[in-house]
Amino acid sequence: MKTIKNLIAAQSLKHELAARRTKLYRIAYSWCHEAALSDDLVQEAMFKALKNAGNLRDTNTLDTWMYRILINCWHDYLRVQGRNVELTDMSDEQQPEHTDSYQQTQIVERVRASVGRLPMPLREVVTLADFAGLSYSQIAEIVDIPIGTVMSRLFRARKNLKEQLLDLNKDENAHFRLRRVK
Amino acid sequence: MSTHEYSDDKLNMFIDNQLDINETDCLHKALLEDLELRERVCQLKAVRELVHYAYENPPRSAHERRDKVQKVHYLRRGIAASCILGVGALLGWGTHEYSQDNFAGIATANSAFSFYAGQAVADFKERKIVLHISTDDIGAINAALDEADTLLATYRETDTPLKIDIITNKTGINLLRVGVSPYLDRIESMVENNNVSLYACSRSIAKAVKKEGVKVVFLPETVTDKTARELIPERLKEGWVYFKV
Repeated sequence: MKTIKNLIAAQSLKHELAARRTKLYRIAYSWCHEAALSDDLVQEAMFKALKNAGNLRDTNTLDTWMYRILINCWHDYLRVQGRNVELTDMSDEQQPEHTDSYQQTQIVERVRASVGRLPMPLREVVTLADFAGLSYSQIAEIVDIPIGTVMSRLFRARKNLKEQLLDLNKDENAHFRLRRVK
Repeated sequence: MSTHEYSDDKLNMFIDNQLDINETDCLHKALLEDLELRERVCQLKAVRELVHYAYENPPRSAHERRDKVQKVHYLRRGIAASCILGVGALLGWGTHEYSQDNFAGIATANSAFSFYAGQAVADFKERKIVLHISTDDIGAINAALDEADTLLATYRETDTPLKIDIITNKTGINLLRVGVSPYLDRIESMVENNNVSLYACSRSIAKAVKKEGVKVVFLPETVTDKTARELIPERLKEGWVYFKV
């Protein structure tokens, strides 16, 4: 009986994860800006989630739990790749596939480039807040930092983006080589 | 509170719905009175919206592409299956409604004639069969004529009246053409001794004339004034049983 219950729970979790796949992929993409890598990260995160399904005690926290696994996979990847991360190289693959107007595409590219120039800890927090729409406490749990740090990172990230995106006099073509900040 | 009394942290919390109700109300009131504060909030909101917008449509993942390809395959298979099912259902419905024995569907000539021959002794009502031949494939025509002969013999033995209309179209009209068909003698004897009528589709004849550039000559018993599309439904409405070769 217990085995059957476990099987049903595993099947249900599988469906829940499949429903969240696109959302996870988008967040992963906002961190790494690579479609293939985002796919790999999501795949790995889902595999780990299924493997450790027993650790999820409250299904209401599934989103937070999944984001946490995903960010851990991402951090593992960064550790393997080394500490210097090239963040400004935007290949053709990163261009949006949908047929937006030229202007829309320009905006998307510009915002992605600006987000790409943010130090990784700021990037992770701002995308979790602005794109995933998570609360500060959820972000704190996912990234494993105090809420105060979430707020300060969010403040710095948005200030940085505001300067890059809303200041029209800023040189759009400036390139930066960033180092990951621990 | 003036605009300077609200830190960016506080404003971030406001746009992220992280403030409690009292603080939110106070800020709402301040926003109504303070243009500069409104601008600061608007800028933060604009940044948030831009980030959200930028990642709404990332390049499609390999998983999504696979999914799409699979969906297209499934869609194609689905459409094909639906078409087959639809055609089957329509034809089944047609023959079900109009046939005497509620025998629905289209079978191969071989199995269909065998089935019908088996029914011959069941009663002595007249049987009406329309045999639709749309090919000049020798094997198919031979099998059809063999079975038709068997059928005629079976019904003759049981004194059950049987009428067969052979309707040809497309390359099937060659079966009835003088100088083309190797079965003319056999068909003529079939027509002479039994209640068998021959039809060639007028449209297919016109096409053959146009293509070959010569006059198309048929057995004298062949009726050529109607198209197969007219002839077959007429019979189905009258309750004939339809078989296609």
